[in-house]
Amino acid sequence: MSIRMVRWGGLLLGLVGTALTVYFHWQVFFFVPTEASMGIVQRIFYIHVPAAWVGFLAFGIVAICSAMYLWLGEEKLDQAAVSAAEGGILFTTIVLLSGPLWAKLAWGTWWTWEPRLTLTLLLWFIYVGYFMVRSSTENPERGKRFAAVVGIVGALNIPLIHMSVLWFRSLHPQPVVARTDGPQLHPDMLTTLLTALVAWLILFFALFLLRYGTARLEAEIERRLRSSHTRDLPGRGTAAEGALTP
Amino acid sequence: MKGFLGQVWAVAAKDLRVELRTRERIAAMGAFVVLTALLFNYAVDRTAVHPREIAAGLIWVTLVLAGLLGLGRTFELEKEDGALQGLLSAPLPREALYLGKVISNAVLLFLVTGVTVLVFGIFFQLEVPGNPLPLAGVLLLGVLGFTALGTLFSGITAGTRMGETLLPVLLFPLLVPLVVFGVSSTASLLAGFPPAEVVGNLRILGAFTLLALTAGVALFRFIVEE
Repeated sequence: MSIRMVRWGGLLLGLVGTALTVYFHWQVFFFVPTEASMGIVQRIFYIHVPAAWVGFLAFGIVAICSAMYLWLGEEKLDQAAVSAAEGGILFTTIVLLSGPLWAKLAWGTWWTWEPRLTLTLLLWFIYVGYFMVRSSTENPERGKRFAAVVGIVGALNIPLIHMSVLWFRSLHPQPVVARTDGPQLHPDMLTTLLTALVAWLILFFALFLLRYGTARLEAEIERRLRSSHTRDLPGRGTAAEGALTP
Repeated sequence: MKGFLGQVWAVAAKDLRVELRTRERIAAMGAFVVLTALLFNYAVDRTAVHPREIAAGLIWVTLVLAGLLGLGRTFELEKEDGALQGLLSAPLPREALYLGKVISNAVLLFLVTGVTVLVFGIFFQLEVPGNPLPLAGVLLLGVLGFTALGTLFSGITAGTRMGETLLPVLLFPLLVPLVVFGVSSTASLLAGFPPAEVVGNLRILGAFTLLALTAGVALFRFIVEE
């Protein structure tokens, strides 16, 4: 896929995703019935839960792309991994911000060491580490490999982290959608939830493509700068590179 | 296979010999755990909570921090005089280098663990369980899991500008299973529960260690590559 197509695809998906996001917020505020026991604050659910799903999906993509990058050494796989990680950190941040807002009213506290909360926070930190490692090496190729290792080990460890945080008594509401006996939701609630999920999936892939296009462009610029250097044209590089050439 | 194990041992023995002669890391870590125990004495209000009740947690936090102190220097020695280049150009599989480093780190940290339990036991009047072997087993498994993951990540941080300061950021989120199950097993053993109570926790600690070792063996070569 050419860079131009990636960027146009990202823009197109971005428009659709934004429209759907506006639409599902309308649903959340005006369309969906109020939940009986939790009241109005339950409406955060439609923002919180899809964001969590998208965030987890993103981190799955990071792990797979990282593993394939180490295996094949293909530059594009690393660019895909970092694009997914940025999207993932955004949606996980939405989860971490919307959760306490709801918890303050429903549980009477901003934060509790509840399994899913803890897991999401730890996941968020693993990927903060992913970005810190990436940007802290002298040799960018090394940073990419380091980050890939962090991404893979983080994802491998998630089941164990999940198990260990589950070990504490769970306060979190039990799953209402992914159940063996079918979703236990009012149909309008399910509609709203699914709209929100689709909206944020589309928005995630839009951000992914836009970020991926940018990464490809950066690599392309880097490549052209380097080839202009080898053709012995000084002064075309960045200031840092210029300082290094004798 | 004997050749591979011999190479693992060569790396571990080299590190342990250096440590035996300089005693730098063990001295720093040993002093660290004693002084941490001393600070905990003032940090915990003895009228509100008896230190014995939270000793397991304090021991593990101290071990994690002391381990971090030691692990941060895993590749410090090799950074000088291009020694890492020498190791990497030696006819030595990367996996053997990793496992050797894990072993030398684990031996070191396990010695420090002994000091920690002893010091906390004296300072906080802990009752030593009649049979100390299960407790030693839990701590050994914890040390192995910690060093398996920590050696891999110290290889990463040694290659970054931020160095050791980055290590806790990368390591702590991943250590949660180890701390959760390690603390709970240690606490029940210190409270005098029979070892059968902690078998389930030990399995999870074992799974963590196995996972960390596998990941380390598989991924270490991507870290040391130039």
